Amino acid sequence: MAKENGFSLKKSWSFLVLLFIYLAVVIFPFIWILITSFKSTGEIFGDNPFRVIPENPTLQHYANVIFEKGIMNAVWNSLIVSFSTTIYIVLVATFAAYAISRFEFRGKNLLLGIVLAVAMFPQMIVIGPVYNLFIELGWTNSYWIALPFSSITLPMSVWILVTHFNQIPLALEESAKMDGASPFQTLFKIVFPLAAPGVFTTAIIVFITAWNEFVLTITINSNAEYHTVPVAISFLRTQFEILWGEVAAATVVVTIPTLIIVLLFQRQIVSGLTSGGVKE
Amino acid sequence: MKKMGLREFLFLVPILILICIFSLWPVLQSFTYSFFDYQLNDRTKSGLYLSERFNVDLYNETSFYVDRFISMDMETISDDQDKADANQVLAGLTELNKEFENEEGVIKLTGDQTDQVLNVYQNTKTTVDQLVSKYELQQGENLPLLVDDINNSLIQSNFVGLDGYKQAFSDGFVGIALKNTLIFTVVSVFLELILGMGMALIMNKAMQGQGFIRTSSLIPWAIPTAVAALMWSYLYDGGAGIVAEFFSIVGFIDQPTDLLQTSTGAMTAVVLADVWKTTPYMAILLLAGLQTIPKSLYEAASIDGASIVQKFFRVTVPLLMPAILVALLFRTMDAFRVFDLIYVLTGGGPGGSTETLSVYSYKVMFGQTNFGYGSVIVMIMFVCVAIITTIYVKVLGASVMEKN
Repeated sequence: MAKENGFSLKKSWSFLVLLFIYLAVVIFPFIWILITSFKSTGEIFGDNPFRVIPENPTLQHYANVIFEKGIMNAVWNSLIVSFSTTIYIVLVATFAAYAISRFEFRGKNLLLGIVLAVAMFPQMIVIGPVYNLFIELGWTNSYWIALPFSSITLPMSVWILVTHFNQIPLALEESAKMDGASPFQTLFKIVFPLAAPGVFTTAIIVFITAWNEFVLTITINSNAEYHTVPVAISFLRTQFEILWGEVAAATVVVTIPTLIIVLLFQRQIVSGLTSGGVKE
Repeated sequence: MKKMGLREFLFLVPILILICIFSLWPVLQSFTYSFFDYQLNDRTKSGLYLSERFNVDLYNETSFYVDRFISMDMETISDDQDKADANQVLAGLTELNKEFENEEGVIKLTGDQTDQVLNVYQNTKTTVDQLVSKYELQQGENLPLLVDDINNSLIQSNFVGLDGYKQAFSDGFVGIALKNTLIFTVVSVFLELILGMGMALIMNKAMQGQGFIRTSSLIPWAIPTAVAALMWSYLYDGGAGIVAEFFSIVGFIDQPTDLLQTSTGAMTAVVLADVWKTTPYMAILLLAGLQTIPKSLYEAASIDGASIVQKFFRVTVPLLMPAILVALLFRTMDAFRVFDLIYVLTGGGPGGSTETLSVYSYKVMFGQTNFGYGSVIVMIMFVCVAIITTIYVKVLGASVMEKN
């Protein structure tokens, strides 16, 4: 007994050390960016750029990115685009997943196959034609950019939702139907409330994916007024000088929304990421 | 399960519309682009012209001036034979004008019409050249140039068939990009699998602080790749970057600036940034798989005297195989299509040493506005992705079958 306890104690020590290294590696870049964001430009490029505690802490970089570089406008654009994407994608995917999970129809496997194929193919393949389409419609530099986001968000939404719908028992819907409910009533009054956790999980994953989208936005919304966060950030570097202090401050500012979402909804995120990947 | 009625089919209408417009149609369209010499910045190639086309507006304008300039000099042309020729040219131009009287813009031509236009052009050219050399015409310098515009209003078909693919196979940059993509994919996915597995095992054992570990693992996954790339480009910076400094102190590189300015250094940097960003995601996928393995199996193995290593390879790995394969499939696809990270972190440099297929095709399409050739590269990527997926699905299917 004593021997076994000693063994597990040793094991738990090595666990702790490994855990500490892991967390240090994962978190370190953020900590360092946070520290840099308070350093003066002189210190960042000076003789001693690796001090842990800033010599003359300053909020100048934050003021610059917020008031001069308009990072808040990018955050606003990202919010609009991500929220609208989330709303219509979740609605469309819920309808589709309900039909796939509850009804038998011809071409169902074909539809699922196409959904999976869309999730797999390189995003570069849609960008040329979509660019031409948007030029023709005059939709470049607008919030219509949320529509082509469907090619990256729809497949996984359908996937997560079908998994969730399959776990909801059919009996409830059948009794609703016996009471004379239409398919739409059944969906909104019975299935939707029961599937709410799955729908919510999907919404969060879609939101994060839309928030992170880069290629479509940088190509189609070339006007800085419509840049989202990732695109606006990438332009901080391509200017004539690289202002690391501002880059750091901007990174901190735009990471805060992500941080809040992760802190509040980590359970849903994990459930969304792993559904379909693991057989329960 | 019930048969689907017409009313239930309405549930599928929105997704079908969206997938058709923003996923399927663009794929077919890209496929079409790849057979054309389609370049946005070249007026004669900025569309898909399967047959020859005719720029009526340009022709009308040109013929108007040719007609006027020749008429102006009719007096100067003394020889009767030349006069007759000139009149014949004018008649030919007018006839062609009549033919396209009701058309405007760029139109399709039939074969006969193409011949007719070419004929008129040839006649006009011969006659005008003759006149210009023989007489002192008022517009002697401009006239030949104008006549060439008749030919220019005939837009050749820019259908090139498989030439784009031929070009791609002999294009060294495609080879380099493919090699870079494969190196990046294999190395980063391999490292992520090993590290992610280790992390998942630790997280599975750790009783306390699981929530905290999970939160900190999710942040790298959740922040935009472009933001992470910019963050790493600071950490890797030759002068101010702490990671570059650290690597040079440890001795991985000679000087901090080597990290982003040598080809091996840049590739390593890109791979490490990707590993940092996605290992936690891998760990979470594998952890979910680990948690479905019943504890009783490990207890049974212990009773049979299995060591930790034996338990890992005889119990954990086989039962985790489906989860591992799914995670590998997702990660391989993502790594193969990598764009944001490289585009922002190195831009494909130095000297194309981190240029992957995505980055190269994007540069061809939007840097050189060559949609035709860019689409060829994209289609090559598409084929690679299809091959990789098929292999995974075959293996995945086999392992699931085995389990049942």
